Amino acid sequence: MSLASDIELRSGRRAWLSEQSGAIGLAGIVIIFWIVFASWAPGFVSPFNLFAISRTLAIDIVIGFSTMVVLATGGMNLAIGAIGVCSVMLAGYLMQKLGVPYPLALTVALLLGALLGWANGVAIVRSGVNSFIITLASASLYTGGMLILSKAVIYNALPPAIAAFGRMRFGFVSPLLIVALAIGAALVVLFRFTALGREILAAGANARAAQLSGVPVSRAIIVAHTLSGLLAAAAGLMLLSRLGAAMPSIGEDWLLPSFLAPVLGGALLSGGSISVVGAMIGALLVTTIRSGLLIMQVGNFWLLLFLGMMLLLAVLLDRYRTVYAERRSLGRRA
Amino acid sequence: MRVTIDSIGKSFPGVVALGGVSFEVHPGEIHALMGENGAGKSTLIKIVTGVYRPDRGRLLIDGAAANFASPRDAIAAGISAVHQERNLIPRFSVGENIMIENLPIRRGLVDYGEAHAQARRFLDMIDPSIDTRAEVRRLSVAQMQIVEIAKALSLEAGLLLLDEPTASITDHEAQALFAVLRRLRSEGKAIVFVSHKLEEVIALCDRVTVLRDGKVAAAGELIAAMSRSRIVSAMIGREERVAEIGPRTFARGTPALEVRGLATSLGHKDVSFTLRQGEILGLYGLVGSGRTELARALIGDARILAGEIRLKGAPISIADVSDAVRRHRIGYISEDRKNEGLILAHPIRANIAITIWPRLASRLGLLTRRLEERAATPLARKLDIRTPSLEQQVGKLSGGNQQKVSIAKWLAASVDVLIIDEPTVGIDIRTKTAIHELIAEITRAGVSVMLISSDMPEMITLADRILVMRDFALVGEIENERRYEPMSRRIMGFIHAGLEAGESQQEASHG
Repeated sequence: MSLASDIELRSGRRAWLSEQSGAIGLAGIVIIFWIVFASWAPGFVSPFNLFAISRTLAIDIVIGFSTMVVLATGGMNLAIGAIGVCSVMLAGYLMQKLGVPYPLALTVALLLGALLGWANGVAIVRSGVNSFIITLASASLYTGGMLILSKAVIYNALPPAIAAFGRMRFGFVSPLLIVALAIGAALVVLFRFTALGREILAAGANARAAQLSGVPVSRAIIVAHTLSGLLAAAAGLMLLSRLGAAMPSIGEDWLLPSFLAPVLGGALLSGGSISVVGAMIGALLVTTIRSGLLIMQVGNFWLLLFLGMMLLLAVLLDRYRTVYAERRSLGRRA
Repeated sequence: MRVTIDSIGKSFPGVVALGGVSFEVHPGEIHALMGENGAGKSTLIKIVTGVYRPDRGRLLIDGAAANFASPRDAIAAGISAVHQERNLIPRFSVGENIMIENLPIRRGLVDYGEAHAQARRFLDMIDPSIDTRAEVRRLSVAQMQIVEIAKALSLEAGLLLLDEPTASITDHEAQALFAVLRRLRSEGKAIVFVSHKLEEVIALCDRVTVLRDGKVAAAGELIAAMSRSRIVSAMIGREERVAEIGPRTFARGTPALEVRGLATSLGHKDVSFTLRQGEILGLYGLVGSGRTELARALIGDARILAGEIRLKGAPISIADVSDAVRRHRIGYISEDRKNEGLILAHPIRANIAITIWPRLASRLGLLTRRLEERAATPLARKLDIRTPSLEQQVGKLSGGNQQKVSIAKWLAASVDVLIIDEPTVGIDIRTKTAIHELIAEITRAGVSVMLISSDMPEMITLADRILVMRDFALVGEIENERRYEPMSRRIMGFIHAGLEAGESQQEASHG
């Protein structure tokens, strides 16, 4: 049968390579930055800094995933920082004020994240309003609610196991990074090998066509937002472990890196196409630049400018890719 | 206006779209431009209208070389066109869209009253029922096409190019368009007319140029001197195959889908009919008569207010599209393949398997590429989808192959009832026959098909029975004898009959 023949396999492999070409290019850029930073600032590759990088990277990766799963549907979630901090503050409150054992407290906090994400998804599907507006509103709503309920206190008398996990190290790798990689592996399985993940991507690529093919598009959007909330909560709790304290200021600076990682990694803003591996490498680039500029004692102001520029570049790249993809997919009709 | 196309060539990466094409369009003639998909017609039109620049050759207008840098230049030179793809702004009103190239200005501001009045004039030539103040995005596909035509007419150009203008409109509106074109011809305008429908080309045009693989296969031949089969063989390089869908036998007794007294949120009041197992039931009607909307209601995409739907005798309720598809096995192929039918950026494999993802998943819930391939490969082979690989993006396929993928995904879902809306819009004559055979073939395997088509020959070739719809109600039912003349006359009779006549016939058809 010709369809299963050698030609097919070869073209499949070529397609896979061209799919990954973005990730490979991005990895090249990361390597260049590492060489530059390592030669200009030897402290960059010190065991201490490598450990610091692995901890930050882990959190940046999960923040990026949180936005990525919603980008898959062609939507966005501006409330991930708000969801993250709500979960963190709930975990802090449960452990410090109520003395709830930490496994239970962390589980409840994760569930809260999923619940807040689910509420976003339901609001988007029911109202038919763009996810941008809904999550812009819910971000303020969640943060405001959290500040009112918590009175903006800091919970810093947490069970020692929390901070101990954040300080733990295998060589110069934090176990947090292993958690992030495990989440990444789960997402690869979801989006590549399950009907649910494929439905989310189909809904993002062409919602109407997916719907008319029997895909429950509304459910796919709600699931994506629930997952996004869960991942935001996970990122928050990972940060909690790194800081050893639950602070109401967590999540304020997540928005930029949350878009940077998946978009640099090749997710189409119009939906339907994401790359888990790409998002991880994108997060690595963000972390690398942040750490490198820190080591070289370049101020935070410059960092912001630099990251902003990168997002702009990534978006321009996305734009170029969309136009290119369209041209290729529509072919040349004569 | 005399337009001379002088050995024009155009290449795209990897494809020679036009390889030195020459012919001439005279003032006061309707010049047919024919050829299969990919023959180079649309590329040529885009060169004449300044969308593309030719790589080689010259374009002469009344003997003077024209060098268009943009579509604006072409419009300024007196050339207007209806392109195959839509060029309307969805959120603007019909009137604004029609007049967009020269909005009337008074004291520095747009004079909307005047704009709508002028737009009205051009719209009235084809279809007076469209409101110039309606937003374009609220219109049906056919109404949008009419707005496109009115927009092209509004430029009152010396050369008018129409690329498949009748692809999505009904005979009735097409006749109105042809009357306008004949009038423009008598005023000395030059008209280039692209169509897959041979009947209308022969009835309307004076001369014909046929393109094949980017080259001229017949240049400016008189239509009167060309027989139908000569045009076709110039197009495809061999003799035409007559659509032969074989003898039709199906168990006349077993109803697959019964609809009784259906009322929908889209405006149907009391629709009743029966679709028998293995039957092709045609649904004919003018644009806006509620055919597509009926399909939407049947697949759960619109609210059903009253009435009963029975599937194989058992009453069902349809909650949403996914319920219709996955539980009741009713499928729908939209007339708008690009936006509603297929996910163009995804591979053929995924587009076929999408209807059965949950069913395909292994016991662990895993859905691998291999499982999808196993489901899609036999269908791709059976339907003869021409592609080097199932990993090919659907957007890269020809229209005919895309339509085969649309059908394949419903065969994968093993639907019992398949509603097909305008199956061969914009599909060339060779593939059209293959699609027709395919539709007949799937009914032999037990699928019951409801066929919505504005293409009368297609309807009469395929349907076993034809329902006629007008104003969201069924007004007639005809057993198809497959003879074009009497059948088309009877169908149009139902459509144009007075209200009382229509109602009494509806009574009769229910009896």
